[in-house]
Amino acid sequence: MDLVIALTINGLVWGLIVALIALGLSIIFGLLDIINVAHGDFFMVGTVLALVIAGTTGFWIALVLVPLLGLAMGLVVERLIIRPTISAASLTIVTTFGLSMILQETVRATFGAQPRRMAAPIQGTIPLFGLEYDVYRLFAAAFAALCIVAFFLFLSRTTLGTWIRAVRQDRETATALGIPVVRVCAFTFGLGTAMALLGGAIAAPITTVEFRTGVDILPVSFMAVVIGGLGNLKGTVAAAVLLAVLEGLISSFADPTLARITSLAVMCMVLLVKPRGLFAGATR
Amino acid sequence: MSPVLEVADLLASIGRVPVLRGVTLHVNPGETVALLGRNGVGKTSTLRTILGLLPRRGGRVRFNDKDLATLAAHQLSGEGIGYVPQGRGIFGNLTVEENLFLGLRHRPDPSIPDYIYARFPRLKERRQQSAGTLSGGEQQILALGRCLMRSPRLILLDEPTEGIMPKLVNEIRREIAAIAGRGVAVLLIEQNLRTALRLASRIYLMEKGVIVHEATPQQLSADPSTVHRYLGVSL
Repeated sequence: MDLVIALTINGLVWGLIVALIALGLSIIFGLLDIINVAHGDFFMVGTVLALVIAGTTGFWIALVLVPLLGLAMGLVVERLIIRPTISAASLTIVTTFGLSMILQETVRATFGAQPRRMAAPIQGTIPLFGLEYDVYRLFAAAFAALCIVAFFLFLSRTTLGTWIRAVRQDRETATALGIPVVRVCAFTFGLGTAMALLGGAIAAPITTVEFRTGVDILPVSFMAVVIGGLGNLKGTVAAAVLLAVLEGLISSFADPTLARITSLAVMCMVLLVKPRGLFAGATR
Repeated sequence: MSPVLEVADLLASIGRVPVLRGVTLHVNPGETVALLGRNGVGKTSTLRTILGLLPRRGGRVRFNDKDLATLAAHQLSGEGIGYVPQGRGIFGNLTVEENLFLGLRHRPDPSIPDYIYARFPRLKERRQQSAGTLSGGEQQILALGRCLMRSPRLILLDEPTEGIMPKLVNEIRREIAAIAGRGVAVLLIEQNLRTALRLASRIYLMEKGVIVHEATPQQLSADPSTVHRYLGVSL
């Protein structure tokens, strides 16, 4: 029983981090209509940058710097790679796949191929449901949840957030009303990238840091977006947590491969039974 | 008096298919002009090309004596051109108030939202509601109100009475007349000939991507053969 509780909490922690990453993927998809295959690698770059920056200035500064670097990186990638190919959706899959390889190989060439681990910036454990639980993991969950709430507040309360929601729905009318759609799209790509790198920074102390971690996080993020319902951001969060808990439980009692197969089966079932997502109808 | 909008020899294509083959028209300040024609003759494409939403392949568009080719599409609303697209262009997932203020860089003169809310109390009651919950007629009123927020000098209206319940069509017509009464020029696309005859002071007929006929409502009313030829309807 203790194990089940521990695994569920672990799943929840990881699910909130995945939710942050999947939200970034979802707004990029919703606004620019592109499938960003490099999104998982943005997460990976986040973990690596967090480890490197934390080694020189400390983790807390890394936690602030990494998403800012992510925003800058997203803006550059959007201008150089996405915007020139945006008119052909299939082409963006190819270009972002190329970007994915460039990011992985750059990290392998500079950071090395060896997986590394990072010391938790908050040491110690606290008792939770009869278990001694890492404080940092709880912090990671709370901080990811806070970022998710901040993201939703940004979308609903700020002018720029309102513009993003408007462009998502009707790009042409948004243009005619004076919204600089090209710049809104560029910023959105930057924001989505920043969220993936931020997820990486939060996850760095509780995961292995290496050039391949993005390969694993990308399918989970995609599945969260699909199961939650394309364009349904709150559904994405719920689906990410659900998937992470499910995969965590199954990985421990069986093995990670079966866990991933189960997630895929869940996604297929959702697509068959509720093709607009498990949480369709809750969009706003 | 120079026209507020002057379009000359406008060319545009969708993909490789030419949709505008040299459209020439003008709208004088404060004037309501209707653009009529059968489905697919290029009426909506004319508006979209004027607004820069469809790439211009040739020709000129001047607004207030300024060449619009120098501006990006999103800058036109700031110049004073309002647009209500076909299907109204309401953002259903935004609130009524968010729709009204959308795209504005500065809070407008407060008398404008006050005027809109006073004129349409239903919008004021529902200003925090999702615009998607409004009826078709209310959405059209909201779309017109949203145009007015920018104090435009010209409004482009694409089939404002399409899909509106018949009993609300008169209300929409009244609102368009009221907008024109504020000195705003209107370029109106209509399928409904009666709406066009009632609102417009000049009417252009369009066919296959060009303007083929220009008349006043009185001239057109007295010319059933032209109406039948270009619109396929009887007066």
